[in-house]
Amino acid sequence: MLVSFQYRPRKSVIERFDPRARWIASFALLFSIVLFWDVRLLAVFFVIAMAQVFLARITWKETHRAWILLIILSTIMIVVNTIITGSGTIAGVVGSGKPVFHFEIKIPLVGWEIRYALTRERLWFALAQYLRVFSIGALFLVIPFTMDPRIYGVTFRGIGLPDKLAFTMDLAFRFIPTLARDYQVTVDAQRARGFELEKTEGGLFAQIRRVAPLIVPVTMNSILAGEDIANAMDLRCFGLKKRTWVEALKYQWPDYLLIGAGGLILIICLILRFGLNFGNFWFPT
Amino acid sequence: MQTDHNLPLLVKDLSFRYQRRPAPSISGISMEVKPGELVLIAGVSGCGKTTLMRCINGLAPRVYQGDISGEVRIFGKSVQDMSMTELSQRVGTLLQDPERQIVSSHVFNEVAFGLENLAVPRQRIIYRVNETLEYLNIEHLCERQTFHLSGGEKQKVALAGVLVMQPKVLLLDEPLASLDPASAAEALAIFRKLADDGISVIIVEHRVEDVLAIKPDKVLFMDAGQVIYQGDAGGLYDSVDISKVKLPARAVLRRAQKASTQPFKAALPPADGQELVRFEQVEFRYQPDSPPVLKEIDFSICKGDVIAILGPNGAGKTTLVKHALGLLKPTRGTVLIEGKPTHSLTVAEAASTVGYVFQSPTQMLFAPTVQAELEFGPKNLKHSTEQIEKDVGWALESVHMNGERKTPPLALSFGQQKRVSIAAILAMRSRILMMDEPTAGQDYWNYISFMDSILQMPGFDAILFITHDVDLALIYANRVLLLKDGTVAAYGSPENVLADENLLHSTRLRPTSLLRLNLELLPRTGRFMRAEALVDYVSSNHQVTEV
Repeated sequence: MLVSFQYRPRKSVIERFDPRARWIASFALLFSIVLFWDVRLLAVFFVIAMAQVFLARITWKETHRAWILLIILSTIMIVVNTIITGSGTIAGVVGSGKPVFHFEIKIPLVGWEIRYALTRERLWFALAQYLRVFSIGALFLVIPFTMDPRIYGVTFRGIGLPDKLAFTMDLAFRFIPTLARDYQVTVDAQRARGFELEKTEGGLFAQIRRVAPLIVPVTMNSILAGEDIANAMDLRCFGLKKRTWVEALKYQWPDYLLIGAGGLILIICLILRFGLNFGNFWFPT
Repeated sequence: MQTDHNLPLLVKDLSFRYQRRPAPSISGISMEVKPGELVLIAGVSGCGKTTLMRCINGLAPRVYQGDISGEVRIFGKSVQDMSMTELSQRVGTLLQDPERQIVSSHVFNEVAFGLENLAVPRQRIIYRVNETLEYLNIEHLCERQTFHLSGGEKQKVALAGVLVMQPKVLLLDEPLASLDPASAAEALAIFRKLADDGISVIIVEHRVEDVLAIKPDKVLFMDAGQVIYQGDAGGLYDSVDISKVKLPARAVLRRAQKASTQPFKAALPPADGQELVRFEQVEFRYQPDSPPVLKEIDFSICKGDVIAILGPNGAGKTTLVKHALGLLKPTRGTVLIEGKPTHSLTVAEAASTVGYVFQSPTQMLFAPTVQAELEFGPKNLKHSTEQIEKDVGWALESVHMNGERKTPPLALSFGQQKRVSIAAILAMRSRILMMDEPTAGQDYWNYISFMDSILQMPGFDAILFITHDVDLALIYANRVLLLKDGTVAAYGSPENVLADENLLHSTRLRPTSLLRLNLELLPRTGRFMRAEALVDYVSSNHQVTEV
């Protein structure tokens, strides 16, 4: 089995920015996006996020799995919440409005009546949700493809996390491929004992019990490995004093520009939202 | 009283008892190591080697709490009075499994880790990392991802991460355990060089024969927490139990003349040419556009075969075995299990013929009791309850673990876990046993008795194992399959395949002293055998020369 990082140098504009600046700007945009339900504003963020995707030079081939997952998950969520039940929407959006399509059915025997109307409002609201989800998704999806795994630790240290917490990021990147490989070995070992993962029998607890042959060995191995890893780190003085990070990051002027732009957008959005009360749900009349 | 300021390591009457253990793990240990000395500490699992190392590198009692008495001094200063920061720059430790010692995703960062923690200025770190990589001749690995390194490369990187802190004493915990013979030889050459450059090197290893090749200045043999021999290598030959550590074949022979052993007999059925598994022109690729991992593989496993699969890392050994089990299906060609192509079999169906034991038992043990663990396979295969009960009982009997039915497998020792994992395959009544590096992680004494007992177990028609250990193939196999770059480089009797020294070198194997001795005596013996058994063939006029 092959496990590798999604990162490779792409010589894109995005990679020239300091990763700290990118995280800060990305979070500023994230906080801005969640303020609004106005499709016009959300479209602007969507364009910004997609622009980053194209500037990052990532290919469809590399990212299609992530996109498809995003589409499936968001569609399920949005169809259920907005189109069908309407329970996830803000007040007043679905209660009234012009129906595009409606039907009534009566379930025989129990006599329940179902009245359903798909309104224009519902559709616009669904669109707004899609734009939000995809803008945020696109914003962060780019990161693993364009950020060297080596610099996550120093990046979070630079943003202000303590040494130990920041190094956890590095440690995670070190051991994710190992964990994936161990899992695969255990899957093979149990299949060699006639275990078939595909079989689904019984209720929830029975199903959980069924995956125990995979989960227990992987967990136990990780715990055993943990002792050695902790020793290896102790023996090399981890956590005794404020450490040097050999991966150095240096802000250049474009980074300040990026942070400034991110901050400015967030401030404008806050003013729009709370000062001018702009950006609520909107649809063309 | 300080006359030991120049002495890198002085251990005086050292004892240590872990907090939760009733008895001390080591007691009354005394030794001293001079600058540039290379010391070998040998002994079986549980003899206290690891505890001694922990007392020297400070993990005991800092991390592993307990009662310590006696003295451990580094250049005259007691280890207990030193800070970890100070100690780590005097004593470097290479743990047994480099996989678990490497904490960074990339080589450069891994080597820099210790210095980063000591808050050394950045430029200085870069300089020292490069210097260390150069010293070990691994500059080319600098930008590589640690996960994708080979076992030998991983170990060099882990060693670089220790050496960069410029220790004066280097502790190596079974450094040869996971290496193929060529990588082990390279590693040993590095350890010699380190000692020659003035570092005091202490190697804890049960592969005594291999370490003796780099001429340690001093050898210690430990047993049950005590040093029972301390002196030069020659004296060791006469004072230790030859079944406990692996000595050069000639030394064993010399000792065995004094105490002969029982002849060994495997319990497999006689070879009658009946084919159990056949590979026909097998080719395999993970992806249609990726290079083949296996190509043109043609061979059969027959009743009565004990096959050793040897070959360098990445030659496709594990991939080959996975095909025999149907875990992987050939991209081209066919694998037949008892005449049926694996394309038409599920893994579960194949499992009733072929049982596969993975390298580490913890990769498969999960059940709350040994009994439940053994029932897992046969239940998956839908055997009847009475059948399962009978087979589980028989499997436990076969591995001598009847008393542990109700014990959680994870509470057992490594060797016992290994036995449970074999019993789990036995209970499925699989007729072919396949093992991936069956001896990994076990010391010489344990793995010889383990292999002996497996080969004497009733119930298997054929046994196949992957190994790096030439002697293991030589002692147990009647067929040797040498894999190289995904193709069969040689397949035949050990006497034919292992005699070709060039072939061995090209597959990262090295002839051992036992192989050389066997080849020398082959005209008389007619087949390969273990050192103790060769005694009967050494005539009185045949001079057994000293190593």
